[in-house]
Amino acid sequence: MTGQLSKTAALPARRRRRDRTSLFFLLPAVVWILLFTLFPLLYALFTSFYSFRFGQRNQFVGLANFERLFIDQNLHSGLRVTLIFVVATVTVEMILGFLLALLLNRELRGKNILRALMTLPLFATPVAMGYLGITLYYEQNGPINEFIRFLGGQGIPWLSSPRWALIAVIILDVWQWTPFVFLVSLAALQSLSPDLYEAAEVDGASGWQLFRHITLPLMAPTLWLILLLRLVEAFKVFDIPTSLTLGGPGRATEVYSLFTYRTALRFFDHGYAAAQGFLLLFIVMLIVSLLFGQIRELYEEGR
Amino acid sequence: MTLRTRQLLTNLILAAVLVIMVLWVLFPFYWAFLNSIKHPADTFENSWIPFLQFQPTLEHWRAELAIREIRRALWNSTVISIGAATLAVALGTLAAYALARFRFHRPQNGTITTWFLSQRVLPPVVVVIPFFLLMRQLRLLDSVWALVMLNATFTLPFPVIILSQMFRELPVELEEAALVDGASRFQAFYRVALPLVVPGLVATWIICMAFSWNEFLFALALTTKNAIPMPVIIAGAEHTRGVQFWFVGVRVMLTMLPPTILALLAQRYIIRGLTLGAVKG
Repeated sequence: MTGQLSKTAALPARRRRRDRTSLFFLLPAVVWILLFTLFPLLYALFTSFYSFRFGQRNQFVGLANFERLFIDQNLHSGLRVTLIFVVATVTVEMILGFLLALLLNRELRGKNILRALMTLPLFATPVAMGYLGITLYYEQNGPINEFIRFLGGQGIPWLSSPRWALIAVIILDVWQWTPFVFLVSLAALQSLSPDLYEAAEVDGASGWQLFRHITLPLMAPTLWLILLLRLVEAFKVFDIPTSLTLGGPGRATEVYSLFTYRTALRFFDHGYAAAQGFLLLFIVMLIVSLLFGQIRELYEEGR
Repeated sequence: MTLRTRQLLTNLILAAVLVIMVLWVLFPFYWAFLNSIKHPADTFENSWIPFLQFQPTLEHWRAELAIREIRRALWNSTVISIGAATLAVALGTLAAYALARFRFHRPQNGTITTWFLSQRVLPPVVVVIPFFLLMRQLRLLDSVWALVMLNATFTLPFPVIILSQMFRELPVELEEAALVDGASRFQAFYRVALPLVVPGLVATWIICMAFSWNEFLFALALTTKNAIPMPVIIAGAEHTRGVQFWFVGVRVMLTMLPPTILALLAQRYIIRGLTLGAVKG
């Protein structure tokens, strides 16, 4: 990895020869990450081939842990819950976040304050939101049910009904992460050149046509990128379901990461937990590689 | 409908949507705050305006802050987030500069950037057990330093990506002039380029800080007593007697306020930083 100065940074000739300082800049971060991710990954891979039981020596079990992945009903339940969660949250967050960005990209009075407020949930501690959610969703006199009753509806058994509990988790996640979609979309919208719009307006294009033929195509690469990032994070979800419902009632909100966490640190079944971790990693990598091709294509078209 | 009424109608709908959005975003914060200043009996009534509908009190704030574990958790969270953010930004800035100013072959700059970003792909739950065992070996279980190191690792992609874009936007001529004058490459970086990206530096530092402050999974797995940070202590707010709204309120406020206030203060820089980093990166 020997770095050479890029052409833009033209320098006196004797300096231009192989500049080892480039490695001095790059390597600390690279080494640091390798140190902290390569070892644990290899270690996890190693443990995934072992059975780990209390009071016994670790035993090599080959692929047994991976075979369990196929027959474990509870794991499948966790995967199903996670899939529902991912599809629901990411869809809603993408649509809401993008619409909000379009809205606040206009000239509005107080737009800076509005933008600042809209990004706040992104920085609120997710696990704290989960615990706050317990009081927000409180059945008898929680503010959400009070509001529903005020509108003439009936109170919803938010955290005691399996179906509603998952919806409750999804709503909190939407609250927390829509701002991310909003923020990055807004940033991209702001970087679009106004010249195109002016030219199209001169040609008599309507608002909808402007959106359909200019905004959307230009935003496509960014939107795909946001989708990718949100999908990756959503599959790893842990904090909100753990703090809001502890996975319950029953297993209704026991997402994949929570199930694995319990396998590892409640039941100390390290080998099996490691195998579960790799399945999750595999799923996330699959999504990344599928979407990444799409994104690269779009970026290259744009050039 | 005349053009004017149509315009008016559009504006009205717009305003309504914005009001709903603001309420939706702010309500949980307000709700936590309300509960934190209500007498326990008042929490069971839906009253929204302090002084008018109920008599506010600071007793829960005092009671919670008097608890040693809470004070220690606040301290731990501070050390963890400041330490991790500083470490991540220090390492990340150097790498960002390298990616912006040098051209690497095998692997190329784009590949290296993607590799940094790919750290976010790794689900923490995959590595939490190895970390647990490793930290036990190193006798770093229940130590804030373990969390400093881990959070620095997992937030490192932000400074790399955001700052490399910022460095790219600086005119190279300034550094070239310094080099011609006999400065070393490091001096050119440190004395010329670095001061110019301070706003971006602050923004990424705050992002890293907030994310480290909020991190829960590793904190839960690697702390038992001494190193417990706020997100883990908040789990204790739910007592066997049922949810105590008022204590949940205080703890939620104590946990969420530091990162959100910081984010609010640095809003301008964060939006600018993300504009450059996330989109063009």
